[in-house]
Amino acid sequence: MRSIDVHAHVTPQCYWRATEGGGEWHGMRREQDARGREVMISGSSRGQLPPRASWTPEQRLADMDSLGVDVQVLSPYAGFYNYELPTATAKATSVDCNDEINQMTTTWPDRFASLGTLPMQDPAAAIAELERIMVQLKFKGAMIDDKINGKMLDEPEYLPFWKAAEQLGALILFHQGGDTVVSPRIKKYHLPNSIGNLADRTLTFASLVFGGVMDACPDLKICFSHGGGYTCYGIGRIDRGWQGIPEANRLNPNPPSTYLRRFYYDSIVYTEEALRFLIDQVGVDRVVFGSDWPYDMAQDWPVSWIMEMESITQEEKDAILWKNLEGLLGI
Amino acid sequence: MRHIDVHTHLMPQCLWKTVDGGDDWYGMRLESGDGLGFVAGNGKRIFINSPKLRFTPEERIVNMDEEGTDVQVVSIHTPLFPYHWEKGLAIQMSKDVNDEIAGMAKQHPSRFSGLATLPLQDVDASIEELERAVKVLGLKGAEFDMVVNGKTWDEPEFLPLFKAAESMGALLFFHPQPQENLVALERTRKYGLSNSIGVPLEDAILVATLIYGGILEKCPNLRVIVAHGGGPACFGMGRMDHAWKVRSEARANIPKPPSRYQSQLYYDFLTSSEASLRFLINAVGADHVVIGSDWPFVGWDPSPGGWLESLTSLSTEEKEKISFRNLEQMLGI
Repeated sequence: MRSIDVHAHVTPQCYWRATEGGGEWHGMRREQDARGREVMISGSSRGQLPPRASWTPEQRLADMDSLGVDVQVLSPYAGFYNYELPTATAKATSVDCNDEINQMTTTWPDRFASLGTLPMQDPAAAIAELERIMVQLKFKGAMIDDKINGKMLDEPEYLPFWKAAEQLGALILFHQGGDTVVSPRIKKYHLPNSIGNLADRTLTFASLVFGGVMDACPDLKICFSHGGGYTCYGIGRIDRGWQGIPEANRLNPNPPSTYLRRFYYDSIVYTEEALRFLIDQVGVDRVVFGSDWPYDMAQDWPVSWIMEMESITQEEKDAILWKNLEGLLGI
Repeated sequence: MRHIDVHTHLMPQCLWKTVDGGDDWYGMRLESGDGLGFVAGNGKRIFINSPKLRFTPEERIVNMDEEGTDVQVVSIHTPLFPYHWEKGLAIQMSKDVNDEIAGMAKQHPSRFSGLATLPLQDVDASIEELERAVKVLGLKGAEFDMVVNGKTWDEPEFLPLFKAAESMGALLFFHPQPQENLVALERTRKYGLSNSIGVPLEDAILVATLIYGGILEKCPNLRVIVAHGGGPACFGMGRMDHAWKVRSEARANIPKPPSRYQSQLYYDFLTSSEASLRFLINAVGADHVVIGSDWPFVGWDPSPGGWLESLTSLSTEEKEKISFRNLEQMLGI
C-alpha cells in the first residue's frame, strides 16, 4: 500500500534565505511576532507561517516518514499567489517557487511530484508559466485561488486558460488564499477559514458548472481541496436553483449534480461521516488523499486517520490513499 | 401523520389593505412591474414572486388543506424586517404585525401559531415587545435575521435579549434576508447562487456564531430553530471542531468543541436532498429536526409532509418526531 498526498505546501527555502535578517524576497518580508512566530509580510497582508513551513526537504521527508506519507504532490504556499501585485512580480515569485519545487522533485523523484503557482491576474502570463512547468519541468499541474482579485474563474477572459490546462493535461488544484467570502462578515473564531474555505470551494464548483467551463472543456482535470467544501452536501439546493431557471435560459443541459463526478475532491473533511458522505455522493474514484501539510488546519496523522475507518472498505481506502492519484497523475 | 410547519412566510393583510388603497405602509408603496409587481420603500424593493403572498388567512388554510399541512407557524417575509428603519416606526410596525399574526392564531387556533417581529436595532424595545408578544398575545417567539444592520449576534449587546428569550421560553427562528444583506452577495450575483449557495451559507455562519460566540454556552435553555437545516453547518462541523483545537480565538467563549453544542439547536428539514437530511439527523438527532417548507416559495412533491413521509431512509419514529412531535412539544400545541 502507498500513500500519495495531493495537498502539501512548500514555502520555498529561497524565501527563507532572502528574508533572513530583515531582507526582502521580491518585496516580501518576514518578521517574528511577540511570541516568536514567523509572519510573512507582503504589502498590507500578513500570514502566519507554522514551524514546519521553514523545514528543509530533508526534514520534510523525515516528517513524511513519520506520518506514513510516501509521496507529496507539492504545491506552493497560498500566501505567495501574489495576484494583487504587479504581474511582473507575480511572474518572478511564481518562477522562483516553481523552480524550487522542481528541484525537490528532480532530487527525490520517488517522494515528490509538482504543482506550480501561476500569475493568474494576467491569463496570458499564467498560460505561459503553465506551459513552461508542464512541458519543460514535467509538472502535474498548478494550484490556484477560487477568485482572482474578486473575479471568479468563469469570466470569459479565463477560458483560454482553461483550454490550455485541458490541452496540457494539467491538474488544477483549487485552494483559497487570503480572505474568503466569509471575511467581510466576521473575522472572529477562525471562521473565514473554517467556513469560508468551504464556501469558496462551493462557489467555484457552481461558477465553473453554471459558467459553462466544464462543458467547454470536457477533459479538464480539477481537484478541489478541503473535500470541495459544502458542494456535495449542498448540491440538492444548487440543483433546485438550476430547475428554477426557465428551460430556454439554461446554459447546462443537465442539472449541476450530474457534474459532481467531473471533479476530484481531497479527503480533508475531518470526520468519517463526512468522508463517507463525500464518497457516496461523488464516487470513490473521485476522492483523493490530502493532508494540508504543514498548517495547523492539517489533518493530524492523516494516513492512519483513513486506515482506521470502519465504514470505508479496504478497496476504498486504497483508491483514496494512492490508486486514484497514481492513475490521475501517473506517479 | 400530523404536519406542523415552522417555516412559513407572511406579508400581513394590514400591509396589503394600505398599499392597495394607494397609501404608504410605513413608507412602502405598491409599484407595478414584472409579474405581480413590487412593494417598495425604505431602501428596499420587494418583488412579489408568489401570488400566495397576498393570501388571507382563510385562503392560506385552503392551501394548507391541499398540501396536508395541519399547522403553520407564521412569521413575516424577511425583506420586511424593519431593523434599518427609524426606531419608533420599527416599534410601531412590529406591534401592528404581531397583533395581526396573534389575531390569526386566535381566530384559527388549530391551524396557526405565530412568531413575532422585533425592532432589533433597539434591544430594550425588542425585549419589551417580545414579552408583550409572548405573554399578552400568545405568540410562540420571534423570527430573527442573521445580522442586525451588519452586527453579528455574538455582540455583547444582544445577550440580554437571548437571556430574556430563554427565561420566557420563547422560540427564536433564524432566517436570512435573501438578496439584501447576504455575505456572499458580491460573488453570487450570477446563476441564482445568492439563493442556492448564499442563503445556506448564512445559516451556517449563524450556527457557528451562536456556538463560538458562547450564546449557547451562556443560555443552555435557549430554544432556537435555524432555517434551511442550518445550511451545511453539520457537514462542516469537523472543520469547526478542528479550528477549536488549534486556534485560541475559536476557544475564547466555549470550553467544549463546537460539535458538542450543535444539538442544542433545532433545524428545519429544508436540506433539499434525502441524503443531506439523513446526514443532519445523524449529526443532531431526529429530536432536533422539524418540518420547514419555506411556504410559499418552494414547490414540494407532493407536499412538505408528503415528501417527508415518502423518504425511505427514515424510520416512522423519526418521521413522527420531525413531522409533529418535536414542534408539538416545543410550542405546546
